[in-house]
Amino acid sequence: MEQSEIMGNVVKILTPWVKNEDALQSVSMETSILDDLKVNSARLVDVVIAFEDEFDIEIEDEDVDSVNSVGDAVTLISSKLD
Amino acid sequence: MANRSAETGHGANQITQIHRRQRWMGWLVAPIWVPLAAFWLSRRLAYRVHDLVKIRQTYRELRQESNAPLLVCANHLTLIDSFLIALALSGSFRYLVDFDSLPWNVPEESNFANTSLNRILAYLGKCVPIRRGGTREDVAYVLNRVIYLLQRGEVALVFPEGGRSRVGRIEATGAGWGVGRIVSAVEGCRVLCVYMRGEHQETYSDWPIDGERFHVSLACIEPKSESRGVRGTRDLSNQIISKLSELEAEYFSRRKVNPSTPETTKPGAKGDLV
Repeated sequence: MEQSEIMGNVVKILTPWVKNEDALQSVSMETSILDDLKVNSARLVDVVIAFEDEFDIEIEDEDVDSVNSVGDAVTLISSKLD
Repeated sequence: MANRSAETGHGANQITQIHRRQRWMGWLVAPIWVPLAAFWLSRRLAYRVHDLVKIRQTYRELRQESNAPLLVCANHLTLIDSFLIALALSGSFRYLVDFDSLPWNVPEESNFANTSLNRILAYLGKCVPIRRGGTREDVAYVLNRVIYLLQRGEVALVFPEGGRSRVGRIEATGAGWGVGRIVSAVEGCRVLCVYMRGEHQETYSDWPIDGERFHVSLACIEPKSESRGVRGTRDLSNQIISKLSELEAEYFSRRKVNPSTPETTKPGAKGDLV
């Protein structure tokens, strides 16, 4: 799967949890999920489970430690799909 | 899994050294601050806890009956809940004799570690501050500290809701998965669910009112999940939140039957001392 396709799906999954919709309009790989998009950190678990369901992958707790930006999520998902 | 968890972020050796140093410093000054905190809560603020002897006996038995790690998970309504719960679970003298039974805390950095003095006090008072919404690496470090100290046989107190409930009731939807992550990483971890509420505590606040009387309910569970990964971790968190919600429902159903509520109980009325 192409990174741009993964990125599109990641943004689609994040959208319901995003509180800062302005940041969503200019979302990039560098956009911070918590600081820029203002996703509630407590809800990150639901986001990650949605990633698992969408991409049919399994994500460990420790994997999430490296996910701060949208790009980090895309990289993590790409590595699981390889 | 436990070891792998403890090795992420800061190295396992680094966590060991940081923890050993902080525990030792805390132990050194405990004879000063633990009795002072108990005096301040029970005498100056005149807080009281119902069934204190029974609560302390339950906690003592839990510590004695098994070496399995023990994580205390509580509802959260005021800024001093962790002090109140600690002093409801055991007396200050016993904490000095068995320092590891005094729970470590994970307070929000902006509340308890926002000045140099507060940072020192938090450090000496067995706190590992966490920044709400901090980077995943920062959060992982704090979780790994808690995992490490539980594996050593020490006790930690966390609030699964992640902050004081803004609605005055357990906020199941606000629960993150940090607590589940701790439980999944610590083999055989027992969770002591604590529901504590002052009779006049209708919603969240910074402080309980002076002379408040607290009801404390305890339930010890061993959460298990068949699911793996993040899904399993969320499952464990949900089991803990569900148990706290059950304790809350029991509290309010008791209050309905026997409304020893603000209308009938004056603050500062006689009762067990904290």
